Amino acid sequence: MERRDFLKFGVLTGATATLTACEKPVQQLVRFVPEEDFVPGVATWKPSLCTLCPAGCGVTVRIMDGEAEVVRNGQRGILKMGLAKKLEGNARHPVNRGKLCARGQAGLQVTYHPDRVSGPLKRSSSRGSGDFQEIGWPEALSEVVTKLAELRSQQQADSIRFVTGEMRGHRRELINQFLASLGAPAAVQFAPLDEPVLRRANVLAFGRAAMPSFDLERANYVISFGADFLGTWNSPVAQSIGYGEMRRGRPGNRGKFVQVEQRMSQTGANADEWVPSSPGSEGLLALGLAHVIVKEGLRSNPTEINSSREVEEKLKDETYSPTQIATRTGISANRIERLAREMAAHPPSIAVIGGTPLAQTNGLFNALAVNLLNMVLGSIGSPGGMFFAPGASTVKEASSANQSVDFVAQVLSGGLENAEVLFLDNTNPVFAMPPSWQVSQKMKRTPFIVSFGRFMDETSVLADLILPDHSPLESWLDDVPESGTSEAVFTLAAPAMRPLHNTRAMPDVLLEIAHSLGGSVSEALPWKTFEEMLQASYRELARAERCHPTDGFEKFWGRMLEQGGWWDGQCQIHSPESPALEFQAPEFVPPRFDGSEQEFPFYFQPYVAEAFLDGSLAHLPWMQELPDALSTVMWGSWLELNPKTAEKLQIQQGDLIQVRSRHGSLETPAVLNPAIAFDVVAMPMGQGHAQFGRYAAQRGANPMSVVAPLQVEQVGSLAWAATRVSLSRTGRKGRLSLASGALYEQEKELELR
Amino acid sequence: MAQTAEQIQRDLLRPVLDPSRRAKPVIAGLALLVLAGFSAWMYQMYTGIGVAGIRRPVFWGFYITNFVFWIGISHAGTLISAILRLSNATWRRPITRCAEVITVFALLIGAMFPLIHLGRPWLAFWLAPYPNQRGLWPNYRSPLLWDFFAINTYLIGSLIFLLLPLIPDCALLRDNVTGWRNKLYSLLSLGWRGTQKQWHRLEAAMHIMAILIIPVAVSVHTIVSWDFAMTPVPMWHSTIFAPYFVAGAIFSGIAALIIAMVFLRSSLHLEEYLRPECFDNLGKLLLVMSLLWFYFLFAERLTTWYGNARPEIAVFWLTQRGPYRHLFWVMVGCNFVLPFPLLAIKKLRTIAGTFLASVAVVIGMWIERYLIIVPSLSHKFLPYAWGTYRPTWVEITITAATFCGMALLYLLFSEVVPVVSIWELKAGLREPVR
Amino acid sequence: MSHCWGMAVDLDRCTGCGACVIACQAENNVPTVGEEAAQKSRTMHWIRIERYYEGEFPNPRVRFRPVLCQQCDNAPCEPVCPTYASYHTSEGLNGQVYNRCIGTRYCANACPYTVRTFNFFNPVWDKPLHLQLNPEVSVRQIGVMEKCTFCIQRIKASEIQAKAENRALREGEPVPACVQSCPPKALVFGDLNDPDSEVSRLARSPRGAKLLSELGTQPKITYLQRDSWDGPNS
Ligand SMILES: Nc1nc2c(c(=O)[nH]1)N[C@H]1C(S)=C(S)[C@@H](COP(=O)(O)OP(=O)(O)OC[C@H]3O[C@@H](n4cnc5c(=O)[nH]c(N)nc54)[C@H](O)[C@@H]3O)O[C@H]1N2
Ligand SMILES: Nc1nc2c(c(=O)[nH]1)N[C@H]1C(S)=C(S)[C@@H](COP(=O)(O)OP(=O)(O)OC[C@H]3O[C@@H](n4cnc5c(=O)[nH]c(N)nc54)[C@H](O)[C@@H]3O)O[C@H]1N2
Ligand code: SF4
Ligand code: SF4
Ligand code: SF4
Ligand code: SF4
Ligand code: SF4
Repeated sequence: MERRDFLKFGVLTGATATLTACEKPVQQLVRFVPEEDFVPGVATWKPSLCTLCPAGCGVTVRIMDGEAEVVRNGQRGILKMGLAKKLEGNARHPVNRGKLCARGQAGLQVTYHPDRVSGPLKRSSSRGSGDFQEIGWPEALSEVVTKLAELRSQQQADSIRFVTGEMRGHRRELINQFLASLGAPAAVQFAPLDEPVLRRANVLAFGRAAMPSFDLERANYVISFGADFLGTWNSPVAQSIGYGEMRRGRPGNRGKFVQVEQRMSQTGANADEWVPSSPGSEGLLALGLAHVIVKEGLRSNPTEINSSREVEEKLKDETYSPTQIATRTGISANRIERLAREMAAHPPSIAVIGGTPLAQTNGLFNALAVNLLNMVLGSIGSPGGMFFAPGASTVKEASSANQSVDFVAQVLSGGLENAEVLFLDNTNPVFAMPPSWQVSQKMKRTPFIVSFGRFMDETSVLADLILPDHSPLESWLDDVPESGTSEAVFTLAAPAMRPLHNTRAMPDVLLEIAHSLGGSVSEALPWKTFEEMLQASYRELARAERCHPTDGFEKFWGRMLEQGGWWDGQCQIHSPESPALEFQAPEFVPPRFDGSEQEFPFYFQPYVAEAFLDGSLAHLPWMQELPDALSTVMWGSWLELNPKTAEKLQIQQGDLIQVRSRHGSLETPAVLNPAIAFDVVAMPMGQGHAQFGRYAAQRGANPMSVVAPLQVEQVGSLAWAATRVSLSRTGRKGRLSLASGALYEQEKELELR
Repeated sequence: MAQTAEQIQRDLLRPVLDPSRRAKPVIAGLALLVLAGFSAWMYQMYTGIGVAGIRRPVFWGFYITNFVFWIGISHAGTLISAILRLSNATWRRPITRCAEVITVFALLIGAMFPLIHLGRPWLAFWLAPYPNQRGLWPNYRSPLLWDFFAINTYLIGSLIFLLLPLIPDCALLRDNVTGWRNKLYSLLSLGWRGTQKQWHRLEAAMHIMAILIIPVAVSVHTIVSWDFAMTPVPMWHSTIFAPYFVAGAIFSGIAALIIAMVFLRSSLHLEEYLRPECFDNLGKLLLVMSLLWFYFLFAERLTTWYGNARPEIAVFWLTQRGPYRHLFWVMVGCNFVLPFPLLAIKKLRTIAGTFLASVAVVIGMWIERYLIIVPSLSHKFLPYAWGTYRPTWVEITITAATFCGMALLYLLFSEVVPVVSIWELKAGLREPVR
Repeated sequence: MSHCWGMAVDLDRCTGCGACVIACQAENNVPTVGEEAAQKSRTMHWIRIERYYEGEFPNPRVRFRPVLCQQCDNAPCEPVCPTYASYHTSEGLNGQVYNRCIGTRYCANACPYTVRTFNFFNPVWDKPLHLQLNPEVSVRQIGVMEKCTFCIQRIKASEIQAKAENRALREGEPVPACVQSCPPKALVFGDLNDPDSEVSRLARSPRGAKLLSELGTQPKITYLQRDSWDGPNS
């Protein structure tokens, strides 16, 4: 059996695996450190998994003894137990190699957050009022079971909807098997950071719907189009490790890094050269670079593709010549030529695209153009280039590449309103979608909503029932990282600590519901617990040739739990099997923007905040108080604009600004940023929660409230960077907590504040 | 204007033996304000030092400003009185005691501020070297410890300096009152009988004290200046600080003395004793100090500007034309531009003129302390860590209360003992008026 | 035998990601202070990432610089402390004895790097966030000064471990929390008394410089300056 096959097998055979005798002792030993084994004050380290972003980094948890107030069987009491004290990267994990980003470390606060939903809740007055009453698990579950049984008996199972956030591994698998057994449609995913545009471009270019990985360690030249790959994008920890090596890991050979964007990101701040092209012209710039390389015959190690000839010919077309595109991109022809020659002269080179350029209406064109540039640079599947992680194929592509798009389509086509039952897990579309799509209003019409939310957020508050999930540290977790590694990786983690609250693991709840429904549903999901399902599934993995578990499954399982998963230790860079099946030079599509230039003079660029991502981490106090890398703002939101623009509008740092688009307005304080284009204003995502615990609620503003509901052409996802806005002063000062006392260090620019 | 000994005794004992009813509401009002300040302090103690406006990087604010200011004010008395005594200036006789008492009270108030400003004031006693089980001693290298010794020495010295010349007057009072007050004055007069031997010893003791107290006074504000100058903070780390501080202290001290004298003169009807010549002479002294202060300021600013070291010049411009510029120019106006003509032009150097100049100087010198502390701290070496400072109501209340406290103590003092030395004036009758 | 702990910060690797800030906060029980206090610059982070712009659009540059206690050999914060709460340890570190601190804040003024943070109020962890506290590090109370300790608890733990195993400390042992977390490996920690340690090697780098070296504080942290990329023809 080929490795790729068994990888698929590992995740997908769960459905057919049967219950086998439980190997209790092993599992007992690794799951919790028994209380009597604790040496007071001595730490035990246990592997876990970071679920805060799609990167899927491996974690180790420092566990020490402590006393926690817990609820057991409805009774509150003090329990001496192992408590998670700190999260560090799992040194053996191939993705993050011992490192964690700031967010990953703050994952600890998800478990200990004072505003976690601590037990099942039932809505006690009108939708959205936020009034809930506590109920017991048996009543809560029986309500769901009754509802589902009723729908099944009425042949209405297809009106069941299940929406999840970014999710991989067996949780997703279980959900889909559960839905399939009910006769309901598969779950759809809504995760704002999912990059459906890039996935679609990768399908078109490489036949792969996966996110790419990059061999930065060995690259000599990196050009990134808007991707905040050292901060928030794709697999930032893996990429940061690679970046460090690219800079200083090879004595005498320091790679060059060029960033193309209109507002300097944390990643852009590290660039040797920063190229502010006009919004939406990134793809054109990439084609211009490719044009120069092809035309001047600078290709050293081109990736051979079926349609090489045609593509080359097309690229040579004068429409892509630097002089032709200089005005459109805002970058001089000389500079484009120089950049092209540089990157061709310093292989291996990589082009990366992510973030804003993909959130323009012509995002697909931009992505395809950058893929083409990679092909021209010869960076596809070669050392120091881009590639697809071996595990990637098993994950997304197994289901659908366009989950988030499907959800948008569902919202727009009335799919939510027609649903009889809506399950929500780990997703917050009410917060992350523009108000003009009326997600909240549509959800209010769904008769029965069940949320597995750990926190009361804008979406959970609309639910009829909240069945709170354990925190990740209290749960069984598994994952196949999609990017950031050249090894085949399965991350697996047992709960690191006992649950603090009266919560239950979502997979276990689904299994319990299935068993209560009985019949074919129960038969399709034969496992008593999620843990059993994992074991059954990984038993198949253990049988695969490469693992060679000569000492039997128990030992293999024990080893997996001890090291935090399984990986084959063989780093290999995989090129896509059939690169560029349909590779063509894409036709330039100009970006469209909502609002006229006269009335709305500024491009509005929301961006993924380092601390909050799409807003899913705004509830963590460590993240709220982490100064933003560039603006250094804490505990709030802000609008970035160029000091020159501000001067023209007589706006000063901290002034409360009204930002208005055709679709709404918001107020937020101004922050001066010398590294943003004059006609661009930028705002971090993540703040402006109406609900989300004490640290996030009623804090700052949500940029989505002005975002126009434009969609990326040919993809259908939200083009969140395609809005134009106008600014006006409110005459008031905003609440602004800045960590930095100065913009510049040099004396001539001394700031006096 | 020849006075008789009886007249002097009658006029000067009157405020003590027959306190004016009018003072009662004033005392009550001041006491209330002091109580407000005390309550604010208790609130701060209970809630935490965070209720003050200090923050990173401006870890010192109003409280240390007040500390330096009041210690400065304390230089009025003892130092001036000592110098005048040693130089045997006749016009000193009516003012020495008013001056000496300012020292004691200003020191007491000033010394409270390091305690008020501590993060854990209940542990303030760790600053004191005392034998303990753990063998723990304070750090003698810390200028704060030098402060501790300097201030305590000065306080004890000036108390003695105040109490010594009080002895004959207390004996006089003892002989004029009965009851508990008789007991009090008996205690304070230390068995004074006015024998030749006693007079001799008193004169000798005062002479010794006058000589001793001068270096102590100079050292106190020198050491206070070293609290700043010993640290690598831009514009603090300066060799000029010691004389600059001492000069500033004497400057503000004289101004405070003039203000106190004006109030005493009118409220206790001492027009005959605190005569315009006193104000004229003190005005001249104030003028000299104003010129000296301006000279130091100029020397400090010029060298900083000329040196053009990056961190220093940042602070320099911050005060010169940055957000602190208003305060800076008010300070220059108060300490030099306004007092200079008032004091230099003989016609203007009247009681009213010197009073006006003095009020300006006291305000100006408070601002000077503030401007030494806050701008430097707000702009240290790394611009990322630059910051600001805003006082809160707690600091403002406590600050205001200390001014009321000073007035209150002064008022009460003037009702307990004669604020003008009776025996010294009587002695003055025997010498020719210059 | 004796150690001299030091650090190197490679500014060419640091991406300004802030992982070290949270690592330190988690390891050392550094509290969050909330918005109101943050607005007053009363945050408690023991390490900060300074951000400086250079130039203007369209050619702006940014420099990040992680700043923590420099563990000065000639530390201005030490002599000024009246109670020896800020003192020099036998391994050359700047120690801070919370129990002895009375809160004069003098040391914080004297520290040219402005890395000392002060507990203006008692720290608060809304329950059950207090369960995250590291039992190996004491929680500071109101009125006391604190700052980076070079993760003294980790240094001690390593030393004790090595002693128990009757061996010398190895390279890469101990590791402070910030160093452990830093993804691009911008932070390197080790023994400056060992000329072969990585930190010693980096401290000798021609790119190395001390922060505010002109003040004579003799910091134990070396900053390796950011490099530039020379053009294709150079
Ligand atoms: N609640 C409680 N009680 C305990 C213990 C406990 O853990 N918890 N532990 C027990 C043990 S093991 C011990 S050794 C004892 C220790 O008991 P104590 O000896 O009382 O120890 P601490 O409380 O650490 O320190 C005593 C005080 O000394 C102060 N101090 C620091 N510097 C100075 C100084 O220069 N001068 C003076 N005068 N004081 C200074 C500290 O701030 C503190 O308030 O407590 C015992 N009792
Ligand atoms: N920051 C800071 N650190 C300090 C001090 C300080 O003042 N400040 N003080 C220092 C001093 S003086 C001391 S003594 C140490 C104290 O430090 P430790 O010796 O660590 O003292 P405790 O924290 O009391 O931990 C004792 C442990 O023993 C367990 N225990 C209780 N009874 C028994 C028993 O019968 N058998 C066993 N096996 N275990 C038991 C308790 O549950 C607890 O977990 O801390 C030192 N460290
Ligand atoms: S990148 Fe950060 S948030 Fe994402 S999985 Fe890794 S540690 Fe977690
Ligand atoms: S950096 Fe500051 S706190 Fe640290 S040793 Fe130096 S002076 Fe002291
Ligand atoms: S604040 Fe504490 S450590 Fe700093 S000087 Fe004062 S007593 Fe010493
Ligand atoms: S060495 Fe330790 S205490 Fe210092 S900044 Fe790093 S993590 Fe914090
Ligand atoms: S963790 Fe490393 S790269 Fe990130 S900010 Fe800190 S020092 Fe820089």
